[in-house]
Amino acid sequence: MRIQELVLQHFGKFTDKTIRLEEGINILYGENGSGKTTVHTFLNGMLFGLERGRGKAAANDTFSRYEPWENPNYYAGMLRFTCGGRHFCLRRNFDRASKRVSLICEDDGEELSPDDGDLTALLDGLEKGTFEETIGIAQRKPEAGETLASQLQNYATNYYAAGDQALQPSLCLQYLKEEQKALERQERQEEQKRQEKREEIEQNMSYVWRDIHKFREELEEVQGEIQKKSEEEAVKKQKYEEFYQQKLQEEKLRESKWRVHPIEYLGMLLAVIFSFLFLSKPWSYLWAIVLALVFGIYIWNRMKDGKKKPEEEDPGPDLEPEQASLEKLSWEEERIQVELKEKETIYGNLQEQLEEIETGSSPECCSRREALKLAEERIAALADEMRQEIGTRFNNRISEILSDITGGTYTRIWVSDQLEISLLKDGKKLTASQVSRGTLEQIYFAIRMAAQEILYEEELPVILDDAFVYYDDERLRNTLRWLSENRNQVLLFTCQTRERRLLEQAGLRATIVEW
Amino acid sequence: MIAGDLFHRQPLLRELKEVNYLFSKLSHTKVVLIAGNHDYIKKDSYYRSFTWSQNVFPLFQEKMKGVRFPELRTAVYGFSYYSREITEPRYRDALAPRLERHEILLAHGGDEKHIPVKRAELLKLGYEYVALGHIHMPQSVIEDQAAYAGALEPTDIGDTGKHGYIIGKTTEEGVRTRFVPFASREYITLPVTVDARMTQERLRDQIREAIEENGTQNMYKIVLQGQRDPDFTFSGEAADSLGNIVEWRDETAPAYPFEVLFRRNADNLLGKYIASFHDVQPDSIEYQALCEGVHALLETKRG
Repeated sequence: MRIQELVLQHFGKFTDKTIRLEEGINILYGENGSGKTTVHTFLNGMLFGLERGRGKAAANDTFSRYEPWENPNYYAGMLRFTCGGRHFCLRRNFDRASKRVSLICEDDGEELSPDDGDLTALLDGLEKGTFEETIGIAQRKPEAGETLASQLQNYATNYYAAGDQALQPSLCLQYLKEEQKALERQERQEEQKRQEKREEIEQNMSYVWRDIHKFREELEEVQGEIQKKSEEEAVKKQKYEEFYQQKLQEEKLRESKWRVHPIEYLGMLLAVIFSFLFLSKPWSYLWAIVLALVFGIYIWNRMKDGKKKPEEEDPGPDLEPEQASLEKLSWEEERIQVELKEKETIYGNLQEQLEEIETGSSPECCSRREALKLAEERIAALADEMRQEIGTRFNNRISEILSDITGGTYTRIWVSDQLEISLLKDGKKLTASQVSRGTLEQIYFAIRMAAQEILYEEELPVILDDAFVYYDDERLRNTLRWLSENRNQVLLFTCQTRERRLLEQAGLRATIVEW
Repeated sequence: MIAGDLFHRQPLLRELKEVNYLFSKLSHTKVVLIAGNHDYIKKDSYYRSFTWSQNVFPLFQEKMKGVRFPELRTAVYGFSYYSREITEPRYRDALAPRLERHEILLAHGGDEKHIPVKRAELLKLGYEYVALGHIHMPQSVIEDQAAYAGALEPTDIGDTGKHGYIIGKTTEEGVRTRFVPFASREYITLPVTVDARMTQERLRDQIREAIEENGTQNMYKIVLQGQRDPDFTFSGEAADSLGNIVEWRDETAPAYPFEVLFRRNADNLLGKYIASFHDVQPDSIEYQALCEGVHALLETKRG
């Protein structure tokens, strides 16, 4: 960008003042109070507008300070510049009532809209704060301040201005982290679902287990009963057998006892015959009849006894119902065993099912997590690399410029992200507080110039408002030479003739602008 | 022939009764079965005690054994799993005994943990046919000589494709087998190719048509493929009403014009990021990372 013409139609004390600017160094010489700062402010205002304060602050703000002395309703100006080989005309009305800005390309008459960022685009994204800290160097504020520091940081960490995308790596990294967190949440939810499934199976298992337990108890009970019953049965059986045995023996005994022995018969017969033959008659008849009767009764009695006994004893029916209940119990036992086995099989199957429920994440989740992680690491590494690269480039350029200005006194300078400065002189490392005011200003000059080069592709004019007060002649000459060699357009506001003299001495071309 | 895993877990007695009833209805078919790794013969397995119908011939012993059908001049050989895994290649030396004219091996497994089987080894065993089980997807191992019949019905979402049984006929010329689709429904993976101009409605129409064409009784796994508009995500919920959609997988890659992006951003982070993934395979983690990273960078850019 090159400024061709400033037209201060109504601005501060100026009315319809035209200032033409050339390529190279323009010296805008003026004594104190001649309006240098007004012109500088005008340029500023044309490019970025004049901001108005609010309330009490408004009384002393820039806007009020440069309101035209006559006719404050007509507060306007025009700026002609070239940019990328095209000619533009920027008009601004600053006044309250008809605040307006227009930008026209004079080559083809295209009307651009500065409000939509067309002007900022032409300025390569240069904003007011950065302007004041790079190319607009005022005597009051030579240091490169926080705005530049943050802008440089932004540039380095966030704003990779090259290309068509305004990328913001730190936000991007945050975004990737959040995505990973979201994924983790999703995975946790899935795990929870699996846990629920597991719990469902476990609950089923506990029901089945309860059944198994119940069946086992029942089985034990039935088995216990069976044992008891069979023991009882055994006892009974034994008793019965004993009883039966006894009966049998008794019977045997009885049989032998009750049966009338042949000898008895013989004895009885002999006794009857004996009494009949050997006793005197008629007693023999009587005795024989009596004895026969007695023996007859005895025998009859015996025979009757033997017949009666077997009818009385029959403990058999006593056993039969017992045997039936035992059989029933063993059927029951069998049934319970079948059910128990079935339940145990179900339990085993559930256990297998439980073991088969996967743990861990699905492969899709895993690969996405890996991908996100890789993306995050890669972007972080590349951003870091680029930041370092930019830092190195920045430091190298500052060192170069400072070395040129100081005639090689300071060959190496390091500027941190926060624009903290340390520099090397004669092999000694110094901090910013250990150098003179002049040197410090030269350092800031070098930082500004290097920053401008890094931040903006489009070369912008350098505007210096009495910025060289602390420079000695030698370094000022070096600086002016550097500017004329490295910058297309320089606007040098000064109230001194020193710059002009030094430029002439050095044989450098400069345009003296008068107004 | 049932080559194992008739049941997915230990069979219950009532289940065996059911299946046995079904077997018993077969009027002139004999059933030979073995137990596989899922229904392996546990210590208290019902397989040990169950009394099968007359036409069922289980080979539930641990060692290779055969059952002979002299009237058919056929013998079927096999053994059952007694544990969940068998890592020795036990079919490797199981040569056909050549006791009958037609000899069939009933085998289960084939993978690393379930009796590894090599195709070449199977060929050398000398059986007329090897009926394989374990893998749910029907597949031929050696044409007309060895095959997995697969599950009769798909058992889970992974069992895509047709399911059924294999019917074989042995003649003088050898065995001829044929796969008979039998399952009442199947899982179908339905790839839908998407491009940058795809819209939600068009996608719905496309899926609906595809489902109608392939049968509405089937269950569909939709896989979106291709390149989609980076600002567009397809929602699976919207497609729920279109049929039995059991899975919805979005494999589309955002159609970032990587070349163009790279050219325009060669010097900045985006360009360097794209360049750092030069030559990655489209289905790799790296490619996914590339897409995720570019997405994140563009999503968070200023303006």
